[in-house]
Amino acid sequence: MIEVKDLTKVFRKPIRGSGLSGMVKTLFSRKYEEVRAVDGISFTVPDGEIVGYIGPNGAGKSTTIKMMCGILTPTSGSILIDGTEPCRKRQQVAQHIGVVFGQKTQLWWDIPLIESFKVLKEIYQIPDADYRERMAFLGEVLDITRFLSQPVRTLSLGERMRADLAASMIHNPRILFLDEPTIGMDVLVKEKIRLAIHALNRTYGTTVVLTTHDMTDIEDLCSRIILLEKGKIIYDGPLTDLKKRFGNIKTLTLTVPAEVHAGTAPVLSPEVAVSEEDGRLVLRFDADRIPLEQVVQYAFRDLRAMDMKIAEISIGDVVKTILEQQEAEHAEKV
Amino acid sequence: MRYVHLYFTCIKRSMISRLEYKKDTIVALFSFFFSNLCSLAAIYFILQSIPALAGYSLAEVGFFYGFSMLPISLDHLFSDEFWLVAYRRVQNGDMDMHFLRPVPVMFQVFAETFQPEGFGEMILGVALIIVCASNLTVTVSFGSIAVLTVGAVFGAVIITSFKVALSALAFIFKRSGPLLQIIYNFSNYAKYPLAIYPAVIRMLLIFVLPFGLFISLPVDTLLHGTHDPWLLCLAIILCAAVFFALAVRIWTFCERRYESTGS
Repeated sequence: MIEVKDLTKVFRKPIRGSGLSGMVKTLFSRKYEEVRAVDGISFTVPDGEIVGYIGPNGAGKSTTIKMMCGILTPTSGSILIDGTEPCRKRQQVAQHIGVVFGQKTQLWWDIPLIESFKVLKEIYQIPDADYRERMAFLGEVLDITRFLSQPVRTLSLGERMRADLAASMIHNPRILFLDEPTIGMDVLVKEKIRLAIHALNRTYGTTVVLTTHDMTDIEDLCSRIILLEKGKIIYDGPLTDLKKRFGNIKTLTLTVPAEVHAGTAPVLSPEVAVSEEDGRLVLRFDADRIPLEQVVQYAFRDLRAMDMKIAEISIGDVVKTILEQQEAEHAEKV
Repeated sequence: MRYVHLYFTCIKRSMISRLEYKKDTIVALFSFFFSNLCSLAAIYFILQSIPALAGYSLAEVGFFYGFSMLPISLDHLFSDEFWLVAYRRVQNGDMDMHFLRPVPVMFQVFAETFQPEGFGEMILGVALIIVCASNLTVTVSFGSIAVLTVGAVFGAVIITSFKVALSALAFIFKRSGPLLQIIYNFSNYAKYPLAIYPAVIRMLLIFVLPFGLFISLPVDTLLHGTHDPWLLCLAIILCAAVFFALAVRIWTFCERRYESTGS
């Protein structure tokens, strides 16, 4: 269980001039600007949940994760991991959490992978029987057995990430923090990583907090998402509710004869937005307000459609729309 | 007990890393040996033209030099990773991995590298001591052996304490390598008898940066019986205890100010 309350992290940075002369002036100035990387956020994650922690670059996702695992000390507010504060009792918390930063490996670069695991076994004081069981489980779900004897330096990015994931799970953590675990991976590796996270969550009831920019990860794994922007939470709730906030939006993409154009085509209702993309017509509407059947009929009869693709609004579109709205609001205030 | 076992596991890991690059290890070992040999040759040539240095003979100055290598090499064996912390690991955000493990960060830094090059210095130091001692007439007593042993071992603790405390400053300033380098270089002064320095530097080397306390004074005690060996032992041990406790305090204070890097 993770309880976060009014969490804030402020970084103080000297205000710099640009160029060499600016840098020299900086040396003698005492002006600092405060960057509120995380700004008064609160949330609770119950045991066994998989939460997607998403937001644009620089929203404060990694900073939050680093505070939750005890790397950074919060400026104010509190974090409890199973009732313990990570910045006060870092070691105690570390025993029960696993962390992967997609951008940086935590394995020793020069030694065969299996040697890294042996050291981790000692660090986390894992009993022999548990260690064997975990290695068998991880070897299977992450498919790492093949390259256990290779130095980490020689592994491909996908292999290294799987190795990193395995290393973060070897001590059977109750909570797993994954910061962009699929960054730069190909489709197959992504799939493998998602399956492994699922398997771990099902088998051991591990709580997972995941940040990613890949919306497929979110749709595949997370029942709940927390959306962060400029250090503040702007949405926290189930994925399905987030989609519903925008109504039951559907898009129809139609292949139509060349003479049919968006501006001149007959209009069904103001509820249906018609636009043209790459010579195709795109109809966008809320299926709760105007029945899908009616729109489909209209497409074939009035627009003489020859082919048609029906799509629901994607979570990526939803997030994009929310962020755009936020930005517009900010712009108005200024 | 757990930590002793863990230390050996980690050291084994570090040795495996070193052996991944066999040639690198051999080159490093030899380069250390030769760089020390060169500085030895340098003093030898200087001393040949000046037959006595503040009343010390060539063999005596050699003895100082050889003995100074013992605490330095011991420190070198166990705490080389702190140089990297001071120069770049904090700046790169490379310390994250240590904060994620249920073991004190400082312990992990100690356990990260074991530097076998230190043995090169140690062998050279011992050889120099033996050669010089055979050219001297010293009365070896139990007390003088004790003071040299204490000077070497606890001297290493004092050097390491400086390294720990100064590299910890990197958590606040991002980079403290140059500062650590300056302080560390003061150990070079202690390779010669304190008598050759003006009083200010002599005081500095005993009370502030106590390299003189654990290198020059024990050797003086052996060669000329200048101090009470047991009292000197006590002083060195106390000094080491205070410095080490202070270093641990500074480290834990600074550690919480680690800022990592953006990803």
